[in-house]
Order: sequence, then structure tokens, then C-alpha cells
Amino acid sequence: MQTTPSAPAPAGAPYSEFRHHELRRTRMLMIDGSLAVNSRTAEGGVSARVYDGGYWGFASAPTADAATRERVAAKARQNAQAMSRFGAGKPALALPGGSCRGEHACVSPRAPLAPAACVERLSELHAWCTRHFPALTSSRFVLHDEHHSKRLATSAGSDVLNTIARTSLYLTLVAEDEHGAPVELMEAISGKGSVADLDLSLDTLAPLLDRMHEHLQAKRQAVPARGGQHTVVLAPELAGMLAHEAMGHPCEADIVLGGAVTGDLVGRQIASELITMIDFAHHFDGEEAMVPVYADDEGTPARDAVLIDRGRLTEFMSSRETAAKLGIAATGSARAYNPHDEPLVRMRNTAILPGTSKLDEMIAGVDDGYLLMRSYNGQADSTTEFMFGIGLGYEIRGGKLGRAIRDTTLSGSALEVLGSVDAVSDDMHWNCSGYCGKKQSMVVSMGGPALRTRAHLGGE
Amino acid sequence: MDGSLQHTAERALALMRARGFDAAQAGASVTAHEEVNFAHDEPSLLRSTETQKVSLLGLVEGRKASTELTEWGERALGERIATLFDDARSAPQDDANAVSAGQHANIVQGPQQGDLALLADKVRELLDFRARETPKFKLEEGFAAHTRLHSRTLTSGGSELSCSAGWYTLTATGTARDGKRVSSFNYAGGSAHEFAGRAAPELFGIGEMLRDTVQQIETRPLAARFVGDVVLTPTALEDLLEWLHGQLGDVQLIAGSSLYRDKVGSAVASPLLTLRSRFDAPGVVALSADAFVTPPVEILRAGVLATLTPTLYGSRKTGLPHVPVSSGWELAAGDTSRAQMLASVQRGALVGRLSMGNPAPNGDFSGVIKNSFLIDGGQVGHALSEVMISGNMARMLHDVQAVSRERLDTGALLLPWLRIGGLRFS
Repeated sequence: MQTTPSAPAPAGAPYSEFRHHELRRTRMLMIDGSLAVNSRTAEGGVSARVYDGGYWGFASAPTADAATRERVAAKARQNAQAMSRFGAGKPALALPGGSCRGEHACVSPRAPLAPAACVERLSELHAWCTRHFPALTSSRFVLHDEHHSKRLATSAGSDVLNTIARTSLYLTLVAEDEHGAPVELMEAISGKGSVADLDLSLDTLAPLLDRMHEHLQAKRQAVPARGGQHTVVLAPELAGMLAHEAMGHPCEADIVLGGAVTGDLVGRQIASELITMIDFAHHFDGEEAMVPVYADDEGTPARDAVLIDRGRLTEFMSSRETAAKLGIAATGSARAYNPHDEPLVRMRNTAILPGTSKLDEMIAGVDDGYLLMRSYNGQADSTTEFMFGIGLGYEIRGGKLGRAIRDTTLSGSALEVLGSVDAVSDDMHWNCSGYCGKKQSMVVSMGGPALRTRAHLGGE
Repeated sequence: MDGSLQHTAERALALMRARGFDAAQAGASVTAHEEVNFAHDEPSLLRSTETQKVSLLGLVEGRKASTELTEWGERALGERIATLFDDARSAPQDDANAVSAGQHANIVQGPQQGDLALLADKVRELLDFRARETPKFKLEEGFAAHTRLHSRTLTSGGSELSCSAGWYTLTATGTARDGKRVSSFNYAGGSAHEFAGRAAPELFGIGEMLRDTVQQIETRPLAARFVGDVVLTPTALEDLLEWLHGQLGDVQLIAGSSLYRDKVGSAVASPLLTLRSRFDAPGVVALSADAFVTPPVEILRAGVLATLTPTLYGSRKTGLPHVPVSSGWELAAGDTSRAQMLASVQRGALVGRLSMGNPAPNGDFSGVIKNSFLIDGGQVGHALSEVMISGNMARMLHDVQAVSRERLDTGALLLPWLRIGGLRFS
């Protein structure tokens, strides 16, 4: 990475920060063997943010020469001062958060994978699908990676280099049902690093594609879910989404300040005692997390935020300003997505911790319900009412799996759904394939075990 | 500015030719953005950003690669073009790859200079309106902004496209709260060429959104499942249009999974629906990403599918006619007032927002209806919580029973309210 040497934070303001940010992305889309997208992008820039007189000023520019850095710093300061048009003398908050110095680079032991090798892997996957699943209507693969490098200096004394690198492969298989209507199934694998760090070998992916194909055949005969409240077993692949959407967003301090219901619940029992949920800063269980944040984009040393401890709501994720407003400690959760974005309170690696049950036993304990296995997207709410789309699920009847169900939506109040959890499996699944959307996009990871609870399914 | 962009695009194209590309597209753009933000009912941040980008697409022996980079100095450009050549050489050959030819446009639209005082005024007006009219609403975040985009795109096929577009944007997001009771979050916003002369709450339905949300603090679930009607607000309608556009575009057409691949000329929707472009709308430029001028186009004409919308690549891949499109759309107004529309619903809901997963490829969907009210016997009743509807997007297009006279203009979209029957509530 090339970075500007520790640029000084803009002087003369109560709090200021200066960031040099580079973002590189690779994206390849192969549809039925045709490479529809073959793109590598690189963007960069410098930004400054100043807190003065109770207001923030931010400025950014695409180049990083000394004159531009000075101009950006001055503009940020001017912008903060210009906000006094809304009323000078606004009390400025004392911003907590401390400082951090150090470099945390994501270094892969593997050499980058050349575009030719990426194309070769995707073409192999397509050829394998064509050979093994001749009745498929279509196969689609999206290979993606992105690498963030941020050098940050703040007036609080922080001087840090942070890098985040993540990669993913989306596999989509499409077939037709008995009426000729398209039916599809998508699976994503993801991890830290670049595409070179994904195992794209057929030895690894063929069994995955086989399982996908089996599920797709079941989906061709799928029945609608029955709309309403049901006992559901959420596979480990879904628990992370539940953590992120259902209670993650309502535990972001800016959402709390916006009036989220969680603001009144700290210290209260809001979930089953089986539920402990943590937004990990950089490590989980002794290993570096998929999206490691050692210091956030305000230079605050990042620490784990224990959101729910054995069912009790304990704390929120915060930036310096939101921590000051709520009178809590800053957790190092302020993050900016692109070089021209200001830091916002964002999740990092959000997970529900594993329990002691076995998934098979959890299914066997359901007389009438559903096993939900894949989710494509979700949405949170200030009320903690969440939803996420279900792309793969099965009926459970008498403790055994039955017919596949058509795509549906799961929803409920997080407080009720987490309060109803009566079993948590002892395994754990992490992924970092998607984006979280707020004002900006953000790379996050999410994880969890299987959960058994009650929730609302859309259907007939 | 235009001279610099022209020079950069010309230089990039010349370097690509010299490197050995058979065909190439080179674009240079600069965007300046000023944004006055508010958070938690207070002015919070003034943000000024400058971004620049060079976008390159090159073909060699029918193989394609593309890139974007911020730095456009001679050395950075030369190095990236060399890498791009290697990227393209490693891609599979595909006869469908091509670049635009013979396209010419110079688009100048909207305010070229932002007015910071005007942005601050709009924020002040919105904050004052909230405090005065809807004090239970908490403006969590939002902004007033001006954006100016300059771009220049050249292709080896002789296309020369430039634009200088400016527009204003205003957005607001928040919840209403009374004691410990909280509504779902809600939002409104849009883009315009002119802010002056209209108060912030009158823009993009923002004031109405704040008032409606305050009525959504007290909610109740449904007493029973039923099949009924929905009146979709323009915001909720966006999901239906997004699904339709996806069905008409490259990915579904190339994969052969579009429901409408062979339906041009057929009735695919209610005769009440006419969907056409508004590519000159604020925040929209009548140019496609693959460097084509996008003339006005009708997608639905009285319910009949008038065209699909493959790009040049999608067209050459599928043999379908190429129809370049940009991103602005309008649905023609109907002849029913909103009041009449609501009064005609015996059982159903006024749906402010759909919170749902991606619809299945066949159009099946289910989603939570947020910011929504029960309708019973033609009367709008209490706000709803934890209510889902399910149905099929393609079926919904057919089942439109009324289109409102009133429309909401958010810039890129100009949409009415729709009444649609046959949705399952649970």
C-alpha cells in the first residue's frame, strides 16, 4: 500500500482527523460461461473532519499531494465554522475515545490470483455444472474482492494504519419448475483476503454445488409456507443475519439517539438466557475476525461491544460523539466506507455465541415448524421488528424434514423472537459476503449458531 | 473543466489504441458535492467532497476488461492501461463484446452551482417544521445537498458524449416516539433542479411522511388472515418497478430466466399502466453506462410490454433489439383520486413501505408492510404492526385496479398511488 506519511490532523480545532484512504475492488460476473463483467477498480483520496463549536466540517479530495492535504484540512475547518450559521455558541461535547498508534495490515500468505486464473476457475465451475447438471437453465457466478487501506491521524494523538480485505464468491443455479417457471438457489462463500484466499478448487466446490443442486431439485417441487407464527429452526447461516438485523442495528448508538426502543432497555432481560450477542472488534475465539477493526476511523482503539449478555441488554456500539451524547464509553465503531465518506456508527463482526444443543436434536424436537437455511437480505427497524428473505427452507413434521418451501420472508420483534429461543446449537458459521446499508455501504461480518424459536413467516 | 476532461479522455483513448486494444471506451468525470447534514433534530455537519474518475473499457480479439481509477496522471494511466490489456487478454472471447459507435451528445442541465445558503435554509425549514408541526417525530438523519457532475466519454467507434449536470437533493429519515412507544422508521427524499420557492416539507412528500409517521406510534397487528387489496404509496411501488426492470435487463435475459423474454407486444399488466422514461429528470442523465444516448422510451403502453431493455452486450448476446436506458421513470397518472381509491377498498391496507427479501425469479414475494394503515369498509384505520402480505409481482401488475390522479415527484421517479387486489395478509 502507498500512503501519505502520517499526515498531521488539521490544527486549531478542538478535535480533528485526517484520513488517506485507498479502496481497490475486483468484480467478475460469469453468466452461463460468458464473462459479462471483468472489472478492477481503484479509488483513493484524502479527507479531513473537524469538530468545532459543536458542529462538524468534512472535506475530501481525490489526490494526496501536500497542497491538496492542506486545502482539504482548511476546507474541513471552514465547513465546521460555516455551520455556526445555525447558531454560534452551541455547547461542544468533550469527545471521549482516547487514541491509538500502530499498523494493522491484512497480509495474505498467498500471491494474488491473476485475472486469467480467476477466469479459468469460473469457466471450470461453469463447465462442471453443464456436465453434471444438464437440465439447469442457467448458472451464474460472481467473484469479488475489495481491499481498504486507511491511514488516519487525529488531534487526540492517534496515528494508525488499518486494512480490511474481504472476498466472496456467489454461486447461483437456475432451473425450471413443472410449469416452466424459473426457480433459483444462491450460495455465497466468503473470507478474509483476496480471491486468492478463497478455495476455488473443484475438490471443494463440487460437493457444495452437488448440495445446491439437490436443494434446487427440492425447490422445484416446493410448497408455499403457511403464513403466520411458527416454530422455526434457523440454521447457523441465518443466525448472523438475525444478530445483525434484529438487534445489531437497534444497538447502534446513533439509532438509539434517533429514538430506537432499545434506549430504554439497558440492563433489562430482553432475550432468552441462552442468548449472548457480541460485536467483535478484531478477534473471535483467538482468531482474527473477517473484518478486523483495531482502531476505528476516528482513531478510537476498538474493543468488543457486548450487546446482550445471557439475555440482558448491556451496551451499545458508539462513535466518539454518540458516546458523549449517551454518556457511555466509545467502542471504536465509527467507520467510513469510501474515501469521501464521514465515519458513522457501524457494526464490525456481529455474532450470537454458540450454545450446547445439536442441530439434529433441535430439528427432532419440532413437531410442526420449519427449518430455514439461507437468507439473501434483511432489514432492521427502530422497533426491533426485523425481516429477512428466506431463499431455502424445509417443513418440519414430527421432528423430520419434509417438503421444501418456496422463497418467503421471516419477520418478528427481535425482543419476542430472541426471548422465545429455547435451543442454541454448539456450532458456528461466519460470513462476510454482503454489505450493510445505512447512509453508506459497509463491509461487515456476521456469525452465529443454529437457533430454535418462534417467528412470523410470510405465506398462504 | 470540460477541456481537462476532454484531454484526459482523449489521452486515455490514444494510450489504449497504442497499447493494442481493438476497440475502447474512455471516460473522465469530476463530481463536486456539498451537503448540509442534520442528526437527531439538529444541524450537524457540512460535507464538501470532490471526486474524479477515469473509466476505461477495452476489447482485444473480442475479449473484454474494464477499470476505474482515481489517478489520471500520465504514469498512473499508462500503468493501468497496460494491466487492463493483460486483463482483457485473459478473458474469454465473446462476439457479443463491442463498444458504442456514432453516439453524440452534449447534455447541460440543472443548476451548475450550488447555493450553500439555500441548502442551509432547507435544513432550517425542515427542522423548524418538525419542531412546530410534528414534535413527536425524531429526525434521525438527513441532508440537503447539491451535486455537480461533469463527464466526457469517447469511444474508438467515434462516440463523443459529455454532460454537465447539477441537481439538489433533500432526504429525511427518522421515527416518531411518544414516551416508550416508537414507530417504525420512515424516510422520504428526492432530487430537484430547483429548491427555491418551495418549503422543505413540501418537497418529495417529506412533510406528509413526518405527519403519517406520528400516526404510526400506536400500532396493532391483524386480527385474522385474509385476502384483500393494497393501496401502494409511490415509495412502496418502487419495489414493484425494480423487479420489473430486473426482468427486462441483461442478467435475466441472458440467463433465459426473464418472465418477459417473449412477451413484447403482449399485455403483461393492467391496461391502466403506462410506464415511460424521464431521462431528463433531476439527478438523471440521458446516457447509458455503455456510452449510448438514451432517447425517450415507453416500457408499458396501456399494459402492453413495448420493449425489453438489454444493453449493447445483452442485445448481441441474445439477439434482442438494443434499447439503451438510463435511470429515470414515470408511471402515467390515472383518473382516480387518492380519496376515491381509499374509499373503494373494502378490506386491505394503505402500504407505505415494503420490507422484504428479493422476490423469487417467478415473481413470488412476501414482505412486511411498514408505515402502513388498515383499511376497512373504505375507511383508513389504525396503523399496523407485524403484518405481512404475499403475492406475485407479475400477478400484481395485472391486478392493478386503479391509478391515482396525484403523483409524487422525487426526481428520478414520478409515481402515482396504485390500488391492487388479491394480496394475502397474514
